[in-house]
Amino acid sequence: MSESQKSYKVRKLEELLRNKKLPRQVVGSLVGCIHCGMCHESCHYALSSPDDPRMTPSYKADQIRKLFKRYRDWTGRVFPWWVGAHTPLTDEDLERLKDIAFGTCTNCRRCTFNCPMGVDTATLNRLMRGLLTSVGVMPEGVRVVSKDQWEIGNQMGVLKEDFLDTLEWMSEELAEELGHDRAAIPVDKQGSKVVYAINPREAKYDPRTIKSAALIFYAAGESWTMASEGWDQTNFGLFSGDDQLGGAAGRRVFDKVAELGGERLVISECGHGYRSTRCEAPNWAGVTVPFVMESSVMTMLRYIKEGRIKVDKTKNSARVTYHDSCNLARSCGFYEEPRELLRLVTTDFQEMHPNRTENYCCTGGGGAMSMSEYAPRRLKSGRVKADQIAATGAKIVVTSCHNCVDGLGDVIKHYKLDCQVKQLVDLVAEALVLDEPKPAEEAPQVAVTAAAGAAAQRDGRSLTGRRILVVDDEEDARTFLSMVLEDAGASIFQAADGAEAIRVALKERPDLITLDLSMPGKDGIETFTELRRTPQIAQIQVCIITGHPEFRKLIYDRPVAPPEGYMNKPVKAEDLVANVRRILELEKRRA
Amino acid sequence: MPQHEPSSLLATVEAVHWMALAFMGTVYALRLWWLFRFGRASDRSAPGNPAQSTALRGGLYSLGNVVMPWAMESTRKPKGLAFYATFVIFHLGVVAGISLAFLSSLDRALVAGPAAAWTLGTALAAAFLVALYRIARRVLRPVLRLISTPDDYFSLAMLTVWFLLGVCAQAHVAGAARFAGDAYLIAFLLATSFFLVYVPFSKISHYLYYPFTRYWIGRTLGHRGSYPYSRS
Repeated sequence: MSESQKSYKVRKLEELLRNKKLPRQVVGSLVGCIHCGMCHESCHYALSSPDDPRMTPSYKADQIRKLFKRYRDWTGRVFPWWVGAHTPLTDEDLERLKDIAFGTCTNCRRCTFNCPMGVDTATLNRLMRGLLTSVGVMPEGVRVVSKDQWEIGNQMGVLKEDFLDTLEWMSEELAEELGHDRAAIPVDKQGSKVVYAINPREAKYDPRTIKSAALIFYAAGESWTMASEGWDQTNFGLFSGDDQLGGAAGRRVFDKVAELGGERLVISECGHGYRSTRCEAPNWAGVTVPFVMESSVMTMLRYIKEGRIKVDKTKNSARVTYHDSCNLARSCGFYEEPRELLRLVTTDFQEMHPNRTENYCCTGGGGAMSMSEYAPRRLKSGRVKADQIAATGAKIVVTSCHNCVDGLGDVIKHYKLDCQVKQLVDLVAEALVLDEPKPAEEAPQVAVTAAAGAAAQRDGRSLTGRRILVVDDEEDARTFLSMVLEDAGASIFQAADGAEAIRVALKERPDLITLDLSMPGKDGIETFTELRRTPQIAQIQVCIITGHPEFRKLIYDRPVAPPEGYMNKPVKAEDLVANVRRILELEKRRA
Repeated sequence: MPQHEPSSLLATVEAVHWMALAFMGTVYALRLWWLFRFGRASDRSAPGNPAQSTALRGGLYSLGNVVMPWAMESTRKPKGLAFYATFVIFHLGVVAGISLAFLSSLDRALVAGPAAAWTLGTALAAAFLVALYRIARRVLRPVLRLISTPDDYFSLAMLTVWFLLGVCAQAHVAGAARFAGDAYLIAFLLATSFFLVYVPFSKISHYLYYPFTRYWIGRTLGHRGSYPYSRS
């Protein structure tokens, strides 16, 4: 095929690369590689697939390097074959590049730290991702999440009404536990010193972390608030390579903090969120941020050091280890503070090796958790992480990143490790001592008892009296979902296909249906549409549970009311119960 | 200017290789001009952890990386440390070869003494052996085969031949191998001239970019607080 027959997307990609303003730091990385292969053993993909040379970082970076040489470097323009300059020709070539850039690298930057030449391979891979994204070539999961962040304002498409309902629900739970409502989560409170921004995953799947944070802010007597909009500190621009999205998402948060008159933006525990908001977004958005930005880990550490909260480390006596998030440790130099905090709230901390900037990726970085098509490869690469964790003998792996929570959770499950993942906020809340309460700035003193974590235990029977229909064609999945929900107190009905689901729904009228999408015969999308169009069962709450996040658009594009929940497989038991409970609670409140 | 009395062919070859040096310098100047035409990205974010690092400290640490094999896991582990040793030997060989080529042109006596002869000769011979190992490594390891370009192979092969010619030329300059006349030295200088002309267009020019790439990544990571890094 000749160059004149290049596809439209390829020609567009070339045009973008020719005109792209590349900083000289990036150009230095593009021309600096000597193909020495030293990066090979720094990559968890390469280590887990020793027989596949395509996993070596320099090969991945060479994909953009070949293009750069062809269009921007004179040696490549004059002697392309000699120096390895190359251009894709077809859309299939672009798909192959997509597979490499998105499916074989989590941009963890470990190879960058092990390159003798100082080549920043992760940045080059992100550049490749950005070019592909610009011409519409990206995994469906990345496309859907980016679209949500552009259009709805957060990467999980949490609607404002649902977000506020969730905060209210957490405030109510706090009130129940504390016996008063002074710890309620303030929203859009003008003039608060601290504005707290979170990961949408917290609002959607694990709101207990919001509650834990609220309890800590209350205990510290902090003047704080959450924003009703611009609260998403995550940023898919980092993963997709789209600087415009990165800048827009960052600016949305910065503008809200300025509007509320906040002095400090506290970013909940999230590796990429912290890096994006704190370090990259000012560059993408081209702004100088006038307020302080810090991780909630630093905030909690400061509270303890200043005596604003008291903790009892004996409440966390199980052996813990700490997993450094790539974005925090390698890209933000943030690795001592979490350890300092961990030593204050736990009794048995065991270091993981290697650690800090040399730690291995959890496998969930770079947006990998939203690209289910690459899950088998990702889990295979997790062998390195599994060996690291197992060597510590820890029962709890602590991390300060939501992607790491999910990535490590998958690794632990896949490699059958006997441990669980927690965040520092969970441990601090569990260790919190409130018997000598500090006054809130705008509230009288009260004696209360810390009860963070109790909700998790209560979740054990939190679905008592609920009727749930589990629809999945895979018997294993059906059994797992049914067992978890039944253990939580729900009455379960099952269906193995769409037609049966409709029949059972009409007969039993459950409170909620968990619905798989990929099923033989009447698939989940068709079933969902029929459910919504059948008046007798149209009001039943639906939570989609699928291994195909790329189908999400199909569901949301149906001309019927959207589902109340959406979860990607594999599903963790506690997430499932929390999510189902949240859907049912919200419905109850609305009713 | 050469102070010994070379044959007319040798004199011509010596002049050519000085011209080749000038050519290389010119192309390098153009390459740097090209590199610096790209704008500098400044970091608007607040310093990551000032107590731990600064941009300048990170930059300097990164530059010093070349003499700190313990700084990176890739050069600290036994396998990496062995490769680091070959890197040192290989590059000392390059320094020896360049020294031999230009010092012999200026004043052959500078490189004819036993100390210089043994030092340069040993460095060149060791580098030749390392170069052979590197060729084998590049050809035999699937990872390196996959990422190698024709330029990678040719550059390595060219340097291997150049080291070998350097050993012979050094022996000749030191008084051995008289039977060949100036042939070894002429061949070595011609190879050096070709080397000087070719290098700016090949990956061997990495050393031109090296200080910049290392300093820039060091500044970036130093500002963020990740350089210099610690471990336990």
